[in-house]
Amino acid sequence: MWKYDNLKHRELPLSKDSSNLFLKIMISISVFLFAVTLAGVLAINSMLINWNSSILGSLTVQIIPVNSSDRQKARDETIVQEQRAVAMLEAMPETIKVTPLNEDQLQHLLRPWLGDDVNIDDLPTPRLIDVKIKPRAEINFKVLAEKLASVAPQASLDNHKLWLNKLINFAAGIKMLALAVLLLVICVTSGAIFYTTQTSLGLHRDVIEILHLMGAKDTYIAQQYAGRTAILGFIGGIIGVALAVPVIFLIAHMAGQIEGGIINEAHLSRGAWTAITSLPIFSALIAMQTAYYTVKKTLERMM
Amino acid sequence: MFEVNEKEPVIEMEKVCIRYGQGPEILTNIDLTLERGSFHFLTGKSGAGKTSLLSMMYLAQKPSRGRVSVFGNNVNFTNRNALSMFRRRIGVVFQDFRLLEHVSAFDNVALPLRVCGMGEKEIRKRVTELLKWVEIDRSTSAITSTLSGGEKQRVAIARAVINRPDVLLADEPTGNVDNDIAPKLMKLFIELNKLGTTVVIATHNENLIRDFKYPCIHLKNHGLRIIKAGERGSDVEI
Ligand SMILES: Nc1ncnc2c1ncn2[C@@H]1O[C@H](COP(=O)(O)OP(=O)(O)OP(=O)(O)O)[C@@H](O)[C@H]1O
Ligand SMILES: [Mg+2]
Repeated sequence: MWKYDNLKHRELPLSKDSSNLFLKIMISISVFLFAVTLAGVLAINSMLINWNSSILGSLTVQIIPVNSSDRQKARDETIVQEQRAVAMLEAMPETIKVTPLNEDQLQHLLRPWLGDDVNIDDLPTPRLIDVKIKPRAEINFKVLAEKLASVAPQASLDNHKLWLNKLINFAAGIKMLALAVLLLVICVTSGAIFYTTQTSLGLHRDVIEILHLMGAKDTYIAQQYAGRTAILGFIGGIIGVALAVPVIFLIAHMAGQIEGGIINEAHLSRGAWTAITSLPIFSALIAMQTAYYTVKKTLERMM
Repeated sequence: MFEVNEKEPVIEMEKVCIRYGQGPEILTNIDLTLERGSFHFLTGKSGAGKTSLLSMMYLAQKPSRGRVSVFGNNVNFTNRNALSMFRRRIGVVFQDFRLLEHVSAFDNVALPLRVCGMGEKEIRKRVTELLKWVEIDRSTSAITSTLSGGEKQRVAIARAVINRPDVLLADEPTGNVDNDIAPKLMKLFIELNKLGTTVVIATHNENLIRDFKYPCIHLKNHGLRIIKAGERGSDVEI
């Protein structure tokens, strides 16, 4: 259907259309917004992957020792709670292995803080359970914390992970919003191309009529529009990306200055940069397709 | 499905009426059959409907009533792509030329060939040859809007015949050209006709009708009458 020969023909004086400038600016702005938003989405994505890998895989449950004057009773009760927590965790389909740390291991962990001399049997030390989670298992930490609390009131989940989980949900929400913005930008741009193409068809009605009378099919005319609009889409795309790249760097720089190292994980991979810099190709393709189908649909109504 | 039917008349009209919008009927109950290879003049006073009749033949409009068949296909039931294919086999010289003013004479004449997807090399050869023949070789690359009326007319004729059409419809093709080139252009039409092209020429030119003995399709009072060559009565004004 796409013959190179046909793309060379320029019977329609489209390069003189006054809407060309409008389209070029419009597409530049759209691609700019798209590029910056896309950079955001990809950054959030890499952040999410990092965060997820740090919370997934394993988690630690802590059994805070029961406080009682009767030490032996307190110890026993703590161990009972630990056993209940272990049983509950083992019953979960997401877990691979649940290992309560034994005395030696606990002592080993505590030694750097307490020194060699202290006998931890004398201290109300927390018990730790190491849980290996299946890769890709999605655990709702809030629900898990509640379930743990019901079987073992002394059990507590690693706080950091709980907090990170909330942050992940928030970031995922932002990501969905950004994706919606991307979709919106595409729709608005296509809409603008649709209307300018229709206007142009009206403007060149006499030429189109002549082409039709010479036996030109709608495709022949649509290809001239598609070719012209693709060029505008590409130029607009180049301008948009050229403006977006420094802005993305600026935002990344500002984000890098936030303390805490959370945003630091939001660097853009080489793949992400490839995607951003190849946007002009996509804007050209979208512009081309939109113009093509606008012409086909509009001309179908003529004789 | 829609094909050029070699056995059917090239153009057939049955009880055809034409009107523009809600206006009066310009032509009423027209019956006309153009056999393959025929040659007719189309006459009638200004405003009689010559251009309107031709415009149905070159598929620029459909009849407001009645049936028009082109190459054996009722145009009312023919899809867009098939109509395009039929138009490629119909060469038209428009009364107002309808050239693309912003491109060169060459590109105008090349248009029907490009539309068919012919290669540029072949196009160059054919178009150059024909433009030379209609004596436009000097200004082939000139933008059409800068050409004189007579030059435009010759470009329009060249464009109409470049693709060796099955049907040639010419609306006042000799109106703007010098008297010495008019017979030459008529000879072109006659040559094409000998090769099998069906020709209809709308004209006011008495000399043409007198010199070339072809039948006339005469339009008068919204109706149509075929006048055989040499049978023209005094009531026929053109
Ligand atoms: N597009 C149109 N819209 C409305 N009326 C039209 C249109 N084209 C032609 N007419 C009317 O139809 C009638 C016939 O016009 P047409 O152009 O067919 O005449 P003609 O025989 O070709 O005349 P001429 O010899 O001057 O070229 C005229 O009265 C004209 O006003
Ligand atoms: Mg006329």
